[in-house]
Amino acid sequence: MKIFKSTILIFFLAATLVACNDTLDLEPEGNTEAADGLNSLEDFQGRWAKLYAGLIIGGQQGGDGGADIQGIDGGFSNYSRLYWKLQELSTDEAIIAWNDGTIKDLHWQNWTPDNEFLAAMFSRLSYQVTLNNAFLRESTDGAIISAGLSGTEADLVRSYRADARFLRALSYYHGLDLFGTLPFTTEENAADGSDLPEYISSVDLFNYIESELLDIIDELPAGSGSEYGRVSEAAAQMLLAKLYLNAEVYTGTARYTDALTYVNAVIAQGYTIDTNLSYASSFLADNDRNGAQSEFIWTLNFDGANTQTFGGTTFLAHATVGGAMDASQYGLDGGWGGIRTTPEFVEIFENEENSADGRENFFTNGQNKSIADVGTFTDGYAIVKFQNINSDGSSTGNDLFVSTDFPVFRLADAYLMYAEIVARGQGGDAATAVGYINTLRERAYGNTNNGITTSDLTLDFILDERAKELHWEAHRRQDLIRFGQFSSNGVWEWKGNVQSGTTTPSFRDLYPIPTTELNLNSNLIQNPGY
Amino acid sequence: MNQKFKTALLFLVLPLLAVAQSVVTGTVKDASTGLPVPSASVLVKGTSNGTATDFDGNYTLGDVPDGATIVFSYLGYTSQEIEYTGQATIDVSLAENPSELDAIVLIGYGSTTKENVTAAQTTVKTEEFNKGAIVSPGQLLAGKAAGVQVTAATGRPGDGPQIRVRAGSTLSASADPLYVVDGIPLDATNANLNTINPAEIESFTILKDASATAIYGNRASNGVIIITTKKGKLSSDLEIGYGVQFAIDRTAERLDVLNGDEFRSYMNEVGSADQIALLGTANTDWQNQIYQNGTQAIHNITIQKGYDNTAIRANIAHTNQNGVLKTSGYKRTSLNASVIQKLLKNDLKLTLNVQGALEEIRNADEGAIGSAIDFDPTQPVFDVNGPNGFFEYFQSNGDIDPNAPRNPLGLLRSLRAQTDNNQIRTTLQADYKVPGVDGLTFNGTAGLDYNEFDSSSSRVNGSAVTLLNAGTASSSNGIRVNQLLNARLDYKKDLERIDSKLELTAGSSYQGFRRESTSFSQDNTGADIEPFQAYNENRLISFFGRASIDIKDLLVLSASISRDGTSRFSPDNRWGTFGGASAGLKLTNTDFVRNSSFISQLKVRGGFGVTGQQEIGQDFLYLNRSTPSNDQAQVQIGDRFYTTIRPELTTDLKWEETTQYNVGIDYGFFDDRLTGSIDVYTRDTEDLLQFGPLAAGSLGNFALQNVGATRSRGIELDAQVKLFKGENFNWNVGGNLTFNEIEITDLSLGDNDAPVPQTPVSGQGFNNFIQEWAVGADPTAFVVYRQVYDQEGNPLDGVFVDRNGDNVINSDDRVRYKQGNPDAFFGFTSNLNYKRFDMSFTLRGSVGGYNYNNVRAARENAVSVIENPGDFLNNSTSGILDNDFRSAPLNLLFSSEYIEKSDFVRLDNLSLGYTFNTDQVGIRASITGTNLFTITNYSGLDPELGNGVDGAIFPRTRGVIFGLNFDF
Repeated sequence: MKIFKSTILIFFLAATLVACNDTLDLEPEGNTEAADGLNSLEDFQGRWAKLYAGLIIGGQQGGDGGADIQGIDGGFSNYSRLYWKLQELSTDEAIIAWNDGTIKDLHWQNWTPDNEFLAAMFSRLSYQVTLNNAFLRESTDGAIISAGLSGTEADLVRSYRADARFLRALSYYHGLDLFGTLPFTTEENAADGSDLPEYISSVDLFNYIESELLDIIDELPAGSGSEYGRVSEAAAQMLLAKLYLNAEVYTGTARYTDALTYVNAVIAQGYTIDTNLSYASSFLADNDRNGAQSEFIWTLNFDGANTQTFGGTTFLAHATVGGAMDASQYGLDGGWGGIRTTPEFVEIFENEENSADGRENFFTNGQNKSIADVGTFTDGYAIVKFQNINSDGSSTGNDLFVSTDFPVFRLADAYLMYAEIVARGQGGDAATAVGYINTLRERAYGNTNNGITTSDLTLDFILDERAKELHWEAHRRQDLIRFGQFSSNGVWEWKGNVQSGTTTPSFRDLYPIPTTELNLNSNLIQNPGY
Repeated sequence: MNQKFKTALLFLVLPLLAVAQSVVTGTVKDASTGLPVPSASVLVKGTSNGTATDFDGNYTLGDVPDGATIVFSYLGYTSQEIEYTGQATIDVSLAENPSELDAIVLIGYGSTTKENVTAAQTTVKTEEFNKGAIVSPGQLLAGKAAGVQVTAATGRPGDGPQIRVRAGSTLSASADPLYVVDGIPLDATNANLNTINPAEIESFTILKDASATAIYGNRASNGVIIITTKKGKLSSDLEIGYGVQFAIDRTAERLDVLNGDEFRSYMNEVGSADQIALLGTANTDWQNQIYQNGTQAIHNITIQKGYDNTAIRANIAHTNQNGVLKTSGYKRTSLNASVIQKLLKNDLKLTLNVQGALEEIRNADEGAIGSAIDFDPTQPVFDVNGPNGFFEYFQSNGDIDPNAPRNPLGLLRSLRAQTDNNQIRTTLQADYKVPGVDGLTFNGTAGLDYNEFDSSSSRVNGSAVTLLNAGTASSSNGIRVNQLLNARLDYKKDLERIDSKLELTAGSSYQGFRRESTSFSQDNTGADIEPFQAYNENRLISFFGRASIDIKDLLVLSASISRDGTSRFSPDNRWGTFGGASAGLKLTNTDFVRNSSFISQLKVRGGFGVTGQQEIGQDFLYLNRSTPSNDQAQVQIGDRFYTTIRPELTTDLKWEETTQYNVGIDYGFFDDRLTGSIDVYTRDTEDLLQFGPLAAGSLGNFALQNVGATRSRGIELDAQVKLFKGENFNWNVGGNLTFNEIEITDLSLGDNDAPVPQTPVSGQGFNNFIQEWAVGADPTAFVVYRQVYDQEGNPLDGVFVDRNGDNVINSDDRVRYKQGNPDAFFGFTSNLNYKRFDMSFTLRGSVGGYNYNNVRAARENAVSVIENPGDFLNNSTSGILDNDFRSAPLNLLFSSEYIEKSDFVRLDNLSLGYTFNTDQVGIRASITGTNLFTITNYSGLDPELGNGVDGAIFPRTRGVIFGLNFDF
């Protein structure tokens, strides 16, 4: 009897133990579900779309909810918003009144490696690289076959791989431009993030980006592409042109000739500028269909109903409205009273706020030109650039989330790059350059009476013309550094935390690697001066 | 073979039996009920010759020498000694005498006598509860037990307090203790004690040290609170009770803000002409506008009856409360019913408990609290032209100004929000004395805890909020289910040869949790956003065992072990083994204490244990998952909007492990007139579950990780004194004092243990943190700029200590300064009764902690008042008149000037009662005052906060409760 009882006991014990581990294996349901491999075209497309969305929205929910990056507010962690702040707030083009953390340090050029905006940007860039690597790992030919895709669907997914490599190269390029480096990983690294990323020098990173772009240029959608907002051969050519144009800054070796090759390739793609359209049309809510889009090489697309974020153009439209400005005139429910510009930028325009140049759109009513107090929005002229209304003045239906698309690359930029290469004496034809500039000025002034001649084509002119044409489009810091006017030369109000502005040490040309990253990854090497 | 051996023995013994002296038989009965007492001990005094009565109370004792004394005893009864002079039958009736030391005390999965407790634990019973706690059970405990820190609930109706048992073992994971209600451990996400009627709670048993909690293994690191609700009693008369309570309360304190005239004169000093033009002509006390007198009405009906084998008890209660903040309120209908049934000749005892509540919470817009502090006191409340008749700020284009504060009363009146929370908890417990094996009992418990909630919120049309954002309607509903199944075997055996009692327990437990919710909301245009479905499920399996031995009634040794598995972690990490051991020396039973004139009780004990923690609130982190975007987060590529899919970061986590050592003394002096205990403990937690940064290269930049360690140490003292004991006059007082210190010993996020910023504060945008976690510091340490003062002690505007001498005040100059956690907290209770009157009160408080007064720091400077992104002015607290700060508000936000001492002493409740002299009906009337006064130097609303950061909480209330109880 005892043996019988013991056997039963052991049997039950064994049964429970075996059942135990299985009972403890559960599967998630609801919004976040289990994902063991990709099984359909939708799965691939969803992940490919996320690669773009990473630049545009902060998370998986409208309004930057379900954010990708933690440690900072969802809207703050938006890639486009962070990138814009780092490229614009540290220059003469923009100054912000808010007190969020250490944001004012950006304009004062006295940031420390603890600055949370630098840390968030660094995290965003690295996250974007990781997302792209993950996509490349999951979209191998083997994976496409096991998902049961074939024919056009398989080709489509293969074409997405080129997009991923472009977007990865783009984020590395941003890292190179802002920080001089980025923790380096590719799809060859372990999927679970257990490989601590290597440190890569600026020169090596430059070479990697160049080789990637050259490799995929034939696999991207040809020419100017057929899907608005998707990268294309033209976008890759433009990015290469930018890379080469700034090569001396990144690597110490100038590559202007190569830049010229690719600038010409971009211009040859057939983009056009309609000089009958106002300059402002390119920054209205319907800039994807009012004719301005013929100039756009690549845009980040925002939509008030379906792509709701507090970054991107929502941020740019709201943050720049305040004081006596009537927000409803710009299609907004209200302004956030943050960003305006320095007097030095105002003075770039002939006749300042009364300039006939249509690219000048200062709001001066109730604003003081000079900035006595950084925290007061009415100190410093406001600028009206990104607006949430259509060209006919109608509203978009949503006055909180803005529908204006953000042009990352546009033809005007390519024209100015061509002219710059000419002005540097690195090739190209002066007359062609003048022709390009005059197209821009024709659109700007609304007539042909303000054209330039070849003798006007100096470097100083180019820098100022870039400011007038491309202000607030996240180019200024890169331009100022290339022209040597960012840190140790160049003075504007509140640079160096002094009202009249001072120069700053030249190591400020690079942002520091955030302290948290250095603590977590001993492979990384801090930039000099920090 | 066995048979032959037995026969042989019999032949050997028979002659002895024939020569045996005498055999006594008899029956032992209970003096009051006349029922037989099974397992009573019948012993020849001074020898080991004894036996136990059987299930009918009968015994047979042989070998009793003439003139010997036979001792009849049973736990909870007064022993009797009878001299043997040759009687053949001795029948005995034992009277009940519950000595304090013989009282049964609950321990994890079982019970023992108070005398044999070797771990640090406290029991708080009905008589000791805070009399003013009529809505929230947690509040019953405030100030009652050493080591148990109860931060009182705020004034929000339906709010419960925050309870911490020996705080400090965790950073990011949940710090709440494990609650076990009538045998069912609660789900940490559904541990709202407010679904239990506080009048129905019999006792709280708080297990504090690891040797006590280790048997709960995987959830035990933060202590365990075992809650027992009232049950019926067998063989008792029919009792019907009805109690009614009516309470009125109001906010205990209001913030001292500038009134209309003070604000006007301040503006004349600091404002420009344009800013002064923004002033109004009224004198509005905004706090007065939003607060009202709160009322509560509570009805309790209890019926209980006990038969021989059945006991039934039921309590139904209804609570209706209007909060002190207008439009807030709480209603609860609760039921607590229990049935005890004995079967199979008292071998089987079944206990069925059903406890449930229907709660209806009316949520008020608590933004009105902050808005009432901010709103300009010179503006009127109402405006004929304003939205829905309330005064609001507009922009020049006629739209509402989105950056201005909203009219506080307008906010309250525009919100329609309600949460319905329905809960039912059922447990069925079976205690079965296994026949055939002496001393073996089987206990099985099956339980179900089911909760359903439904909350909705929307704004009235035409209100300021709706004009800014048309999408104000939102709702969510869901369920939380918790199923329990556990079984254990208890075995008690007397080891006579070594004069010891052995108790063994072995068992296993399965618990499954499921939480589902769906939320609906709208975007700012009023368009519906796709419902969001959250889903969480986890299961826990545990095997546990305990052995304890009471040697010679002097030394008690106990050890427990538990092997736990959770579905939260990956198969490699999900099983953990935990355990504890403790020992106690019952010096009370030594001659030293027995002969002492002043020591009546003395026990020295010590223990240690290893427990785990896995309450991270997320259940699938180790699995590959992906999250799709909702309709508002799509991306346009080409002509299409695509839904994006994000792959989620996986992390392979494991338990947090806490090792604790505890040493204690339980004492009693002067015939137990003074009793109490002292405990000293130290605790180390490793593999802390911490939400910290990840290196670049992962699918996320922050994640829960097992990094870091903390250490906490403390001393707990508690004492009860029976000052007077008599027929007409009794007076008992009791007090407890706890010292607790917490230190982070390792953060290990990478190469250096760099501090991690904590606790964002409001007032100057986002990302401004006031506390940090750093190695060597308390987790609530503040990081501030050190304010510089002049010779009279006045702070110098904008002048701070420049630590690195670079003439710039920036983040390099911030230093750690003080901490939120107090050094010590204490409670003092007095219970007095004279003839038919009774009076009791409880004082409690803390010392050594500091609060960061965010309310003042964000407001008390000229810039915050006058410089706004719109045509409005902000009010400030009155400290602005003393300090007159006008410098940059961001630096002032971090000034050490706003780190204030939070020491306080509070009269939590004072109660007077009178029991009427009637025959059939027992009537008791009472009047209780709650939160009557607070002695503190803290300038904010209330010094008692959870983590030391004061951002304007829902004010606590001061009130009076009238009660009337009838017992039929």
